[in-house]
Amino acid sequence: MTGAAAKPPVLQLDGIVSGYDGLDVLKGISLTVHAGEFVTVVGPNGHGKSTLLKTISGLVPLRGGQISIDGQRLSGKPHETAMLGVAHVPQGDMLFAQMSVLENLLMGAYLAPDKAVIARRLDEVYALLPKLADRRNQIASSLSGGERRMVGIGRGLMMGGRILLIDEPSLGLAPLIIDQVYGVISQLSRAGRTILLVEENPARVEDLADRLHLLDDGAIVWSGKPAELMARDELLATYLGG
Amino acid sequence: MTDVLMAILVAGFTSGALYALATVGLSLVWGSMGMLNMAHAAMLTLGGYVAFTVITSLGLPIALGFAGAIVAGAVAGAILYFAIVRNLLKNDKSTFEANVMIATVGIGIALENAILLTYGGQPLKQPVSIAGTFRLGPLTLPWQNLMIIAVVVVMMVVVSLALGRTRMGRAIRATAQNRDAAQLMGVAVNRVYLQVLMLSGALAGICGVMVSSMTQLSPPLGNDPMLKAFIMCVVAGLGNLPGAVAAALGLALLESFVQYALGARWGFPSLLFVVIAVLIWRPSGLFGRAEIRRM
Amino acid sequence: MTETRPMSRSSMSRSAKTDLAISLVLIAAAIALPFMVDSRYILGQIVLALFYATIASQWNLLFGFSGIFSLAQMAIFAFGGYATAMFCFYFGWNVWAALVPGALGAVLFSLVVGLACLRLTGVYVALLTLAIAQTMYLLIVTDTECFVMVGSVCRQFTGGAVGFARFGDLGTRALLRAQWLVGNYAIIAVLFALTMVFTYAIVKSPIGLAFRALKDNPGYAVARGVNRFQAQLLVFGISAFFTGLAGGFYAAHFQAIGPGVLSMSQLMFIIAIVVVGGVGTFWGPLVGTVVLVLADELMRESGEFRTLGLGLIIALSVVLMPKGLVGRFGDLVHWLARRRASPDSNTAVSNIVQSPAPAGK
Repeated sequence: MTGAAAKPPVLQLDGIVSGYDGLDVLKGISLTVHAGEFVTVVGPNGHGKSTLLKTISGLVPLRGGQISIDGQRLSGKPHETAMLGVAHVPQGDMLFAQMSVLENLLMGAYLAPDKAVIARRLDEVYALLPKLADRRNQIASSLSGGERRMVGIGRGLMMGGRILLIDEPSLGLAPLIIDQVYGVISQLSRAGRTILLVEENPARVEDLADRLHLLDDGAIVWSGKPAELMARDELLATYLGG
Repeated sequence: MTDVLMAILVAGFTSGALYALATVGLSLVWGSMGMLNMAHAAMLTLGGYVAFTVITSLGLPIALGFAGAIVAGAVAGAILYFAIVRNLLKNDKSTFEANVMIATVGIGIALENAILLTYGGQPLKQPVSIAGTFRLGPLTLPWQNLMIIAVVVVMMVVVSLALGRTRMGRAIRATAQNRDAAQLMGVAVNRVYLQVLMLSGALAGICGVMVSSMTQLSPPLGNDPMLKAFIMCVVAGLGNLPGAVAAALGLALLESFVQYALGARWGFPSLLFVVIAVLIWRPSGLFGRAEIRRM
Repeated sequence: MTETRPMSRSSMSRSAKTDLAISLVLIAAAIALPFMVDSRYILGQIVLALFYATIASQWNLLFGFSGIFSLAQMAIFAFGGYATAMFCFYFGWNVWAALVPGALGAVLFSLVVGLACLRLTGVYVALLTLAIAQTMYLLIVTDTECFVMVGSVCRQFTGGAVGFARFGDLGTRALLRAQWLVGNYAIIAVLFALTMVFTYAIVKSPIGLAFRALKDNPGYAVARGVNRFQAQLLVFGISAFFTGLAGGFYAAHFQAIGPGVLSMSQLMFIIAIVVVGGVGTFWGPLVGTVVLVLADELMRESGEFRTLGLGLIIALSVVLMPKGLVGRFGDLVHWLARRRASPDSNTAVSNIVQSPAPAGK
């Protein structure tokens, strides 16, 4: 904690409020992610985890509060947010279904300044996820669920952003595949990536995350180390149903 | 007999090529932004008249006539975006589909009428034409038809390269396949919409020059090809570009066979019959993907 | 889209009262009108406007209340007109006897169109119905085959590019002589009034609710037991009856019907009426008719710019007032009411403008 705090904050949320139609889903959330940190937001389904990430990347409009990246306030437009270095790996992957794996990865590098940068990032992604190299010419819609998740993460890495937002990477996958996906995420974290990840099950991030925020009904109700949460049976029972 | 067959095939392939060009323009806009551009016909007509003005009135070379038609179509597409589409996109998404159709119907009539007021209703001769025929063994092919087919093939190659190989094209396809994800990758979708409308307008402009070179220039010039292009889009499944080209060629050949066998007036009804049959069998077209409606 | 919120009993009756009051004022105006208008031209244009309003109200029932974007509305109108004219022309029927069979013919035609569209949604419906209407137009205009000889003149079965004329009239000329136009005005006004009454009843009925449910959330409506096929065919049939009946009266009033009614500009005029008036609002088509017929008359002065103006009006009203004039009026009244800061008048106002169904947003 103390070491991380010395580093500059990458992402800062200050009392953000957002939602759909007439309903506020997020009711004033503040949190900070510093460079190189792995921060997790945990909470039951339907309590605003995805909305939180979508609000940061601009897919859901911000109604109150403010968000900044490296001290620069966000405009709320998704493509401008991406330009500032927010790489969002959305829930359910949202791949370009009719494009090949390679084209999906290249779309990730849409904002990359030149071909050399694209080639370097592609090498990095293939080194981390060798399976994508084998499947580079396969159409995304024909991949298995686990492969699609890897393409989603790979596409996010191709963005070369300042911070990775990862939305429930375990959703809909078999336990063995979930372990693989978290293995990759753990590698990314160790390599110094700044990560904000949302997840329903705190056990999955227990050994990974530097800090954990517990989200309930659109507000943060507890913050601390993941291991501390795991030791608090009453919190787990109240907010996560045991 | 072979002469007749040849004539039917040449007519079918020529109109098929023209329909394909009109269909691709429509389908591109539908596929990437869910917009049915009812003003496409008028944009076609505009291209034909602009080429006429550049070549006949200003006395410039034919190549500049083509360029003029392309520019005019692209500008019309841009105006359509800024005046109509951008504003309608701000409203509720569920109303966009119907509203943009109605609004472009209005723009289409206004543009057609503006052309009528400017040039008058009498038919004009499009100077883009090549006389003579090309002999290949026993076959006699009019240069005019060959030129049209060649131009359309070139345009198709240009479009498919632009969509398949360029960064802009990839962004257009990405937006069509998953708009939100494209935005997350940094694609400014509004700019993509503008580009698509300009590209489609440019295609309409060229198509107008080609269509008028086969017939004559008149203000309702674009209506007939657009109506048939609609049918071809529906048969292929809206938004499917290769399917649209295949449907255009197939239906154009069918049309010219029916017109020869039963008379010209049964050409269009035969197309309608095909579209109804296809839609009963496959409601999203032959190559269309069935949309899964979320509740 | 539109929330189908449950209205309280009191507000419902209030909205019904407002509609009743509007209706009474309109009926009084309709009765007073022939005594105030001397000009035959103006009265003739008013009769024409009543036809437009009738067709528009039925297109609104299809599109505004049920979300079916059919472009075959004028084809159905023409079918009713042609069927009526052909019954009279070929069988020598009295016009009055031919009107209802003509309308039923239009219903049949509309059901066939409806069947073809049954599995389709949105723009696919629009494109198919447009193609059907266009085919009908082309087949009539290009019909050159002799069906019967009238004197030395060859007559095509469909009337060809000329259409049908002098097959009978509504009998008002024989009865009222010089005042025949007033008689026709009265007949068409009653037709329009009946159409509106039936439309109101349909929209307010459980069937109308099913139509709207299908429009707003098809998946949910089907899950709640609304039979989509049945409801869709029903709305095609009902709207076609009044549209076809109007077609028959149109042919009888003008003593002529030709392919001109199938032209794109006629269809556009109907769409423009509904869009300007307010899609999915009960009074929208009437308001739109008044405004557009007046605008059309004013533009007639400027002659050739009429179609251009019409096109721009359509485009601009979609962009600037998606809810039409009725919706805009509602916003205005709402705003005034809010300024008065009385919550009670607020709800009353929203009921006025949204009656009988909430305006589609």
